This record gives sequence, structure tokens and C-alpha cells, in this order.
Amino acid sequence: MKKQNVCLTALKYVFLSILAFISIFPFVWMIISATNTAADVGQGKLTPGGELLTNLKNLFTSELGFGQALLNSAVIAVITTVLALLISSIAGYGFEIFRSKARDRVFSILLLSMMVPFCALMIPLYRMFSSIGQSGFTAFGLNSMFSVIVPLVSTAFLIFFFRQNTKSFPRDILEAARIDGLNELQIFFRMYVPVMKTTYAAGAIITFMNSWNNYLWPLVALQSPEKRTVPLVLSAMGSSYTPDYGMIMAGIVIATLPTGIIFFVMQKQFVAGMIGSVK
Amino acid sequence: MKQVTAAPGPGPSGRPKKQAASRSQRRPTLDRTLNRWGWAFVALSVILICVFVFVPMVQALIMSFQTGKGANVRFAGLLNYKRMLTDTTMRKALFNTIIYLIIQVPIMILFALFISILLNDKTLKGRSFFRVAIFLPCITSLVSYSLIMKNIFSNDGLFNQMLMGLGMEPILWTTDPIWAKVLIIVSITWRWTGYNMIFYLSGLQNIDPSIYEAADIDGANAFQKFTRMTVPLLKPIILFTTITSTIGTLQLFDEVKNITEGGPANGTVTISQYIYNLCFEYTPNFGYASAVAFLVVVLIVILSLVQMRLGGKENQ
Amino acid sequence: MKKRRILAALLSAAMVLSLAGCTKGGDDGASSSAGAGNSTSNKLTIWAWDDTFNVKAANIAKEYYAKINPDVQVNVVSMSQDDIVVKLNTAFESGNTSGLPNIVLIEDYRIQNYLQSYPDQLSDLSDVVDSSKFMDYKLKTMTKDGKIYGVPFDSGVACVFYRTDLIEQAGYKKEDMQDLTWQEFIEIGKKVKEKTGKAMLSLDPNDLGLIRMMMQSAGKWYVDEDGKADIKDNAALKEALTIYKQMQDAGITTTASGWDAGVAAVNSGKVASSVIGCWYASSIKKAEDQSGKWAIASFPRMSNVSKSVNASNLGGASWYVLEKVDGKNTAKEFLKSTFASNTELLDQLCKDVSLVSTYKEAANGANVSAADQFFSGQAIYKDFAAWTEKIPAVNYGVATYDVEKKMTEALQNVLKGTAVTDALKKVHTEVEGILSAVG
Repeated sequence: MKKQNVCLTALKYVFLSILAFISIFPFVWMIISATNTAADVGQGKLTPGGELLTNLKNLFTSELGFGQALLNSAVIAVITTVLALLISSIAGYGFEIFRSKARDRVFSILLLSMMVPFCALMIPLYRMFSSIGQSGFTAFGLNSMFSVIVPLVSTAFLIFFFRQNTKSFPRDILEAARIDGLNELQIFFRMYVPVMKTTYAAGAIITFMNSWNNYLWPLVALQSPEKRTVPLVLSAMGSSYTPDYGMIMAGIVIATLPTGIIFFVMQKQFVAGMIGSVK
Repeated sequence: MKQVTAAPGPGPSGRPKKQAASRSQRRPTLDRTLNRWGWAFVALSVILICVFVFVPMVQALIMSFQTGKGANVRFAGLLNYKRMLTDTTMRKALFNTIIYLIIQVPIMILFALFISILLNDKTLKGRSFFRVAIFLPCITSLVSYSLIMKNIFSNDGLFNQMLMGLGMEPILWTTDPIWAKVLIIVSITWRWTGYNMIFYLSGLQNIDPSIYEAADIDGANAFQKFTRMTVPLLKPIILFTTITSTIGTLQLFDEVKNITEGGPANGTVTISQYIYNLCFEYTPNFGYASAVAFLVVVLIVILSLVQMRLGGKENQ
Repeated sequence: MKKRRILAALLSAAMVLSLAGCTKGGDDGASSSAGAGNSTSNKLTIWAWDDTFNVKAANIAKEYYAKINPDVQVNVVSMSQDDIVVKLNTAFESGNTSGLPNIVLIEDYRIQNYLQSYPDQLSDLSDVVDSSKFMDYKLKTMTKDGKIYGVPFDSGVACVFYRTDLIEQAGYKKEDMQDLTWQEFIEIGKKVKEKTGKAMLSLDPNDLGLIRMMMQSAGKWYVDEDGKADIKDNAALKEALTIYKQMQDAGITTTASGWDAGVAAVNSGKVASSVIGCWYASSIKKAEDQSGKWAIASFPRMSNVSKSVNASNLGGASWYVLEKVDGKNTAKEFLKSTFASNTELLDQLCKDVSLVSTYKEAANGANVSAADQFFSGQAIYKDFAAWTEKIPAVNYGVATYDVEKKMTEALQNVLKGTAVTDALKKVHTEVEGILSAVG
């Protein structure tokens, strides 16, 4: 019995290590590439070089404004994440805790909203923001931060995610709080939010990542070059007939850091038995 | 061992009450105040989605009945829909997309579930490291990962050199339509397994560990615990990842655009890429692109309904 | 009851919004075009897509223009070509051109598409461009109903870049590379493979650039002069596919999927030559260790097609002015005194960004006749300029890329053994379908 267990554990580690290697390899290559020249990157060189500082210098002095793009992306992603978590979790909670036939039906319709490829919605959405802008509300029209944030703050995806997770929210907490005289909003903020930390952590990672990597809509919605986000700037760099891959890789590494950090911080929430530990 | 049987459905007496509570959510009626709260909770989200998705969707639907460019559009009835019937590229794209879907989604879902259970083990050393490592693919930039994939799987790349070293025939990953599809499936599985793992990991945290302890006392083995407890308890999350992965795969775009460019000879092209091409690569035809998009919507609705039915039935 | 009322309210709100959105969307174009009354402006924006090439060229032109008209502030924005297309299409289709630049660079293969699809969006530049001073083949790409809509930027004159050292090892000299036929090219390729073990050239299964170049060398394209499908009876296309297959069968090619893989194959010395547009010189020069080992020769001709010459073209782009963006006359002024006439500028661009111009007088510039050390002292720009003059003019039509995706299927079938005539017959009908849907 014991021997078998040891074997099994060893197997588990071997399996996970192989998996980890396959998963990390391109990431490590990306970091290595950031220290090499464009020619070396093109040929897939696997050893670190000494070009990191040059690449970084080229990156930040390029006329594309990489620093400004980082700032734009960060502001947009943080605002989007905070708003999306708040708005979508309230809705996900609402759909599950206050279940009724009518709301279930509304929910099914909401799911439909995930199903249209974005390309097909872009022209109508563009026209909508363009008419908002032309009616004088330029702060909410095209080229505004509002126009790239607001379509992402309420997504059926996130509502669905919160709703599915709310299914495991202990109802006795709910009943107890109602008896204690808390109103429904208070219950949500004081009882639900702290208990569902893990769900919020996962939601935050995903939302931040989606907003940070969002491409097609910011591309058309943001018009002035100084408002561009990181993916747009990286795309402009890569379009050259002779792309400087060393510099681009340095940019990519920096562009990946925020999501990586968010994940690293948030994953600490994934500790077995969160709910069990909450009184 | 045999005692741990009825994990789905209301738990037997040995199981904590929370479990039972979470499964009996179906309330026939709510009182008026709670009902009002219910609408208040969902209102903002519903309005936002209506304005920013459903309104454009209705307009896209209208566009799908139109033909012409820019200011010169006119209604053309079902012309765009009729064109789909004879469009061989669209047929190819649809075929490819469905192949990706039925092969890739189940593999990825099971794989992600399996990994997350391994990683949820409290006694596992280096858990954080493995978690971060396996999540990394989905934040690794598309540019670098497609460059690498192309490098490794090119006709004289690393993978084929290994095969030849083992005395096997090299595989034409990028020029053979079947292997190119395999390459795409490998790539998306590589990239999105860690992503789906996150949902399972967070879902697993919401399971009370004491029920596993009870099962241990009953002498259940790991496989039994997995099939009879973990899977049923994670069902809402599994349903969620299945539906979102289905949608994700039906809208697959990045990988085909960056790794194979839809080739060889449209052998890997997807519906989403075809729609993009219709809008931005070819002579722009937004009306026809919308029509193709709505075909996808109809497909996804049918698939989701089937999945919901399957998921829902077993729940009762 | 209450919930039903709210639901109804929500739904009707959505309907009203959608209708409002619709009508708004419809007449947007009219209102913004009516609003764009200002034909002059003291600010110009230019979009282009390569920091080391056309963006840099625009910036140099900006310096020249600053001396002529210091009051105009020029802003050059670099973004990828795909992104430019997405932004143009979205704006043109929606009728809101507020975010567009004054001047934009558009690839020659795409321009007829814009001229046909969005006829009022680009300005007529017939009074900016002196048609006698540019090469005909280039002007033809941007002409519609006798009007010229663009200012030519670069030539994409095709050539053979080859490694002199590898060719010599195979027993050939520079003289043997001049004015080849494809049959001769294949023979040399076989020798190179035999003696050096290296492939003669790398091919990308998704990119039919080689086929396009071969066709144009005979004055043919996927469509004829009237824009009708010209596939199944196109002798040049048939011969091009046959040659492509012959090269594959002779084992002188290697596969490189995508642009970067192609560059890597060249830079790492895996291939002995590259048959491509002149702008590829900058990519070849990236491998500094290969300096002095390269030379260029004219594009091979197809001996079985009577009209085929030793010259062709791949790619190339031109500058366009947006009709509905404020400042179109300023933009025209800018182009007129820079890319449309300034030989001094064009000669500097030859040196700074390796520009091969289609402006006839540019060929007399001092930098054009300068020897290039990387290419063993060959005066490559002089050769490029000479070959550019011989490029046959063709009508690219409106749907080059749509048709080409279909053509990759025909090519794959041919490579698998289908007879060329059968493969083309099959594609012909499908291409006709695409063209009728486009028109």
C-alpha cells in the first residue's frame, strides 16, 4: 500500500514537472529573446545575450510611446476590472439567490450576448459611439476611455461565472443574516463578498487579462495615437518588414508582467477549503 | 468502500447541511420584496448588456439582410443567406470549426479538471510554482508563442528532428491539412488549459474539505472520490467551462491567424477568421459577414441548449 | 405582474435605442461629410506601417516640407498595415471619418478595392501627379475612370537575390545568373542542391507571391482588363503553377511558413536564393556576416509564355488623400512638393531607406548609382531602376486577396497531383462567384 503511494506521488511530480516545462518554455524563451538581437530571435536562439539594455532603450525611446501606452492600458484595465467585478458579481448573485422564472429567462437571453463574434458587432458599436460623440458628449464618444471600458464592465461571461459559483454559497449564512436584520445589499457586501474571495480572485485575473489584451475594439475606438494601448503599440512595432524582434520581445515581456503579477498575487487565494474556514 | 454512492442529489446524513442547501435552490416563488431586490440586483448589468450587445446585435441582424458598401447599402432580402449555400470556403470553415470543437473541448476540460485536482492537494510541494507555471501559457504573448510553435513544428523543426532521430517519418505540420488541424488543436489546448484550471481551482475552494474526510473514513479511493464527489460538486463550474470553451472554440481566431494563417489551402480556417477576412482582409462585405455571424449564433444556441439540458437533467 | 412590466420596459427601451442607433448610423456619413468643409489645415496626419521604411520616409519628407511651408505641422503615425485596413474599413463603412488621417499609405493590391467600394472617400489627385513622370504599371494600379487617385511610393520590382558563394560552389558564375528562364533557374537549383545540400529557395504554402510575380511578368493577373475572372484559360497562370510544381518535384525548395520563417531561412544561410520584391534587400542585409556574399539578378522569365519578360513586381504601396478629412488641399500640397516631384528627396530616400522609386527621373540620382558593398559592390539600385521600367502593367482588380485564398486550394491540389487545367477549371467558377458577390 505504502510503496504504491510513493510511486504514485513520484509519478505525479514527474507528470507535473513535464507539464510545467512545456508550459514555461515559450515564456522563458520570450524572456531570453528580450536579451538578444533581432537576428538571433528570428533564428530561435536559446541562450541569453547582452542586448537587454539596448532593447529596453530602443523600446522606450521609440516614437510609438510605449511608456504612455503602458499607462493607458493600466488605467483602462484597472478601472474595467473593478467595475466589472462589482457590477457583474451583483448580477450573478442576484440571478442565483433571487431565482425566479422570469429572471432565469432573462439570464438565458443574456447568455446569447456571448455568442456573436465581435467582428460582426463592431460596425454598429462604432456607429453608436460615433453618434454619442457627435451629439456633444465627446467624453463618452469615440476616442474616449469610456468607450473602451463600458462595453466590458458587464459581460454575460462574468455574470455566468459568478452565478455558477454562487451555487456553492452557504444559504444558512443568508438566512442568519436576514434574521439579524441586514438588508439584501448589506448581506451581499458584508457576507457574500468576503466569503467568495477566491471567486473574486479568479474573476479579477480573467477580467484584467481580457481588458489588458483587448485588441480589436480599442484599435477602432481609440483614434489618437497618444491614447493607444500596449497591444496596439506592439502590433505597430511588429508590422515592419524588418521587425526588431529583440525590442519587441522586451516590450512583450513588460506587457506580460502586470497579468503575471496579478495572477501571482491572486493565486494565493486558491487555498483549499476557504469556505470551510469561514465561520 | 461501497458506502459512498449517492453523491449527486441531496447528501446522506453524514454530509454537512451546506451541501444539501446548495442543491435545493429551486424555490417556486419569492415574496414580493425579495423579488424586487432580485430585479434591483440584476438591473444595471442587464441594461448595459442590452445597450452594448443586443442593440448592436439587432443592427448586425439588419445588416445581414443588406448588401452594398458604406452609404450605398440596400435591402437584399435573403441574398446573403442564399450565398452561404454555395460558399465552399464557408463550408470548410464550418467543418474545421466543428472538428476543433468536438475534439478539443472535451480533451481540454478533462485535462484542466485533472490538473486542478492534482494541484488542489494540500500535501503537494511546490503547488504555487506548478500553478503559476501551468497558467503561464495563457498570458504568454501570442506573438512569441506563435513564433515558437512555428519554429518547433516547422517541417525541419525540433519536433521533426526528434522524430527522425527516432527513425520515424517527419510530419508535415504546416502543409498537410490534417496535421495542421492537429497543430491548431495542440496549440489551443496548450494555451487554454491553464485558463480553465483557474475556474476549477476556485470552484474547488468552495467545496468543504470535511466531505472528503468523511469519504476517507468510508474508505473511498481517489478515483471514486473524483467521480462521485468532485465531479458532481463541480458540476456548475464544469457546465460553465464547457459552455464558455464551446463559445471560445467556435470563435477561434488568434491561433489560426498567427500560426497557420488559415492554411494550407483553407485547411485550418475557422468561421471567426472567415468573418474577419470578409470584413478586413478581402473586399469588405459587412452584410455577408453578419449573415455568417448569425449562422454561428444559431449553432451556438443549439449547442448550448443541448449542454444545458444534459447538465440540467442530471442535476435533478 | 411587476416583473413583466419591467421586462417590457427594458425590451422597449432596447428597441427604441436600436432604432435610434440605426437611423443615426444611416445618415452619419452625410452629416460628417457635409461638416468637413475645411479643405486647408495647419496640421497633417500621415499613417504608414514600417518604422524602418515608409514611416521613416514620411518623416524625411516632413523635414523637406518644413523648409517649404513651416506653418504646417506634420504628424506621422506608425501602425501595422492590418490595423490601418481595419480602421479604414470601419470608418468608411460607418460613415464617420473623424479619426482618420489626411494621408494614408495603401498597398497597390488593395487600392482598386477601396476605389470601387467607397468611391467618395479618396481624393482625385490627377492635378498632383504628372502622369508622364511615373512608370505606367504603377499608375495603372491607382487609376479609375481616367483619374489618378494616388501618389506612387515604392516599386516592388522583382528580382533574384542569390548567394554568390553557393552559386560558385555549384559551378556557376554571376554571368550565368543574368536574364534566366525558369527552366535554367531550376537546373541551377538542382546543381546547388547537389553540391551544397542547400535548397535554392524557400516557399510559403500560404503566400502565392511567386505565382503573382510570374503572371505579371507576362502581363497577366487573376482577372482580365475588365475585372472578369481570368483563371481557366490563363496560359501564364497555368505555366506558373506548372513551374511551381516542377520546383517542388525537383527537390530544390524548402518550406517556410510565414514571413519570419522565410527571413530566418535566408539569414541563417539555409537557402541559396530568394525570388522576391526589391524591398527584401533590407531583410537580407540583417545577416551582417553574409556581407559580400550576395548579388542580384533580374526576374526569370517563363520560356513557354511568349509575352513573359525578365521583369515583374511584388507588392508596393502608394500615398492617398482622404477626401472627407479637414485639410485635403494641404495634404495635396504636401504630396505635390514631396513624393510627387522632389528628386532630391527621392534620392535621399534611396540612401536612407533603400527606396526604389517609380518616378522616372529618380533613376538619375547620385545615390541610385552608388555601389552597395553588401551586394559585392553591385549598384543594385541602378539595376532595380532599369528593371522597373520593363514591368508589364496589369489590372489588379478588386479582389486579389479573396481570389488568392481560393488559389491556394488549387495550388495544393496541383502539388498533390491534380492536372493544372482541372484544378484551375474548378477554381474558376468559385472565383467568378466571389467576383460577382464583390461587384
